[in-house]
Amino acid sequence: MSAPAGHATVVVAGLGSEFRRDDGVGSVVAERAVTEAASARDVGPIGDPLDLLGVWNNADLVVIVDAVASGAPPGQVRVLEMDVARLSAHDDGAAVPAPQSTHGIGLAGVLRLARALGQAPARLVVVGIEGERFDLGRGLSPSVQAAVPEAVRRVVELIKEVHPCA
Amino acid sequence: MTHRGARTRTISAEGIARVEGEGSLRVQVRDGLVSDVALDIFEPPRYFEALLVGRHFTEAPDITARICGICPVAYQMSACLAMEDACGVTVDGPLSDLRRLLYCGEWIQSHALHIYLLHAPDFLGCADAVQLAERDPVAVARGLDIKRTGNLVMQRVGGRAVHPVNVRVGGFYRSPDRAAIAALAEPLRRARDQALETVEWVSGFDIPDVDGDYRFVALVQPGRYAIDGGRPTSSDGLDVSAAQFAALVNEEHVARSTALHATLEGGHYLTGPLARFALNYERLPPLAREAAARAGLRAPCTNPFRSIVVRAVELVFACDEALALVERYEAPAPPALEFNARAATGTGVTEAPRGLLLHQYDIDERGVIRRARIMPPTSQNQLTIEDDLRRVVQGGLALGDEELQWRCEQSVRNHDPCISCAAHFLDLTMERS
Repeated sequence: MSAPAGHATVVVAGLGSEFRRDDGVGSVVAERAVTEAASARDVGPIGDPLDLLGVWNNADLVVIVDAVASGAPPGQVRVLEMDVARLSAHDDGAAVPAPQSTHGIGLAGVLRLARALGQAPARLVVVGIEGERFDLGRGLSPSVQAAVPEAVRRVVELIKEVHPCA
Repeated sequence: MTHRGARTRTISAEGIARVEGEGSLRVQVRDGLVSDVALDIFEPPRYFEALLVGRHFTEAPDITARICGICPVAYQMSACLAMEDACGVTVDGPLSDLRRLLYCGEWIQSHALHIYLLHAPDFLGCADAVQLAERDPVAVARGLDIKRTGNLVMQRVGGRAVHPVNVRVGGFYRSPDRAAIAALAEPLRRARDQALETVEWVSGFDIPDVDGDYRFVALVQPGRYAIDGGRPTSSDGLDVSAAQFAALVNEEHVARSTALHATLEGGHYLTGPLARFALNYERLPPLAREAAARAGLRAPCTNPFRSIVVRAVELVFACDEALALVERYEAPAPPALEFNARAATGTGVTEAPRGLLLHQYDIDERGVIRRARIMPPTSQNQLTIEDDLRRVVQGGLALGDEELQWRCEQSVRNHDPCISCAAHFLDLTMERS
């Protein structure tokens, strides 16, 4: 559901594949968060970060929800504020490791691309949930499933910073 | 020996989880002659072949679509054709048209992505698409716009843009209503204009003058540019059924590589845009043929570096074809043919954006898959890509390692191997002695 015209726009996108087990957590969290805070727009699930281009244009806040594989305990939820102007990420926890991507351009690349095209959102936050299994198959690991409410709460908090009455 | 560390064209957000996809290249030069070129591409399809055994024949399109996020429709279509072949069923008429429309959507999105974000930066001296966007935002925005139109077609017909969910053996779960399809006409008209601009844009690139000696193989269908069916045909006169083609292709496991290397009657061959253009040029619609002529492109085109121009011409074709299909669309009723399985072997082959994709299955009388064979375009093209690399390295020995690596990467990207490979490219080992 879109916010009324003239209001700040919040876009929530779950990244990842539901067929790679815990990689599917992003869209589960995004969907639930937007059900709770209906002023935000859920554009996921998004398999390729490139598909964010065009859908997040000029948004005041974009929240990306995705599984993370950093070696932290499965189910750990972390919030990363991407520095849209300088394109670095500030993590609220420990340092995050080097990325792996099937796709040509990951999220930071897409953000750079969007900036070059004048399509970057004003603020971009990543809510990452540490995954346990990324092999083929459906369904979340118990530890990741247990982290869903916490991740949803963090996303809703972010939406409410922009829309207090969401 | 110089060994460069992993050189990657991928820029990713830290800690965002994705898996798979890598390629490496090893080149050996002895006494000024290239003695060995080994391209190693990780190939996910192999794992799926085992996964499919024991599953019901109706599950194959959805399972195999997971192999690739870039060409799921190709996997679904080849799987459907193979199962229908096994069951002695032919899907034609409006259902076949709807499949072709969906497939056009995939061509549009895949070609736009490859041309603008992966391949064009090579010709313009940009490290990647981001640098290109900084230098030429108008061009990149156009490419992304075209890609979005492809996504839209896939969403309307397939249910969603990545891994369409509406496809099934026999047809579709639901026929999209007429208004939803009619609404695609306007974006497709715009995309067709943008595709024409794309041909003009890429034909102005500084393209290396290289000539390959290729045995082209593409599907040929009477009266139209083949995508979703047809007979495997070669530039030297081979014209066979899908099943005969499968029997003529030998896939060999090479110790150094995780990928199987395919040979046709013992030799290398090339599938994909150059092959299709060579064998189907006269079946292109006039608009695409005129664009090719303006770009100075004649069939056959044997310069692999000009594949970007051929791809752009195919983009014009795919938009034009999709538009024609949209304009005459009638919702197929029923949305699928219903039929029972029988014990048989079925083969299906279609034109994925990057080349021939063949599926072959043995199913039993209950419809359970007993054997699966999936031959993706990249494994069929692999030996020819290595031939290209040999030529490029041999002709470029005077270049420094860095420049040579650049030329090698570009040479691989000419054939648009599956994106996970193309993008993570390339760990190059040069051994000079």
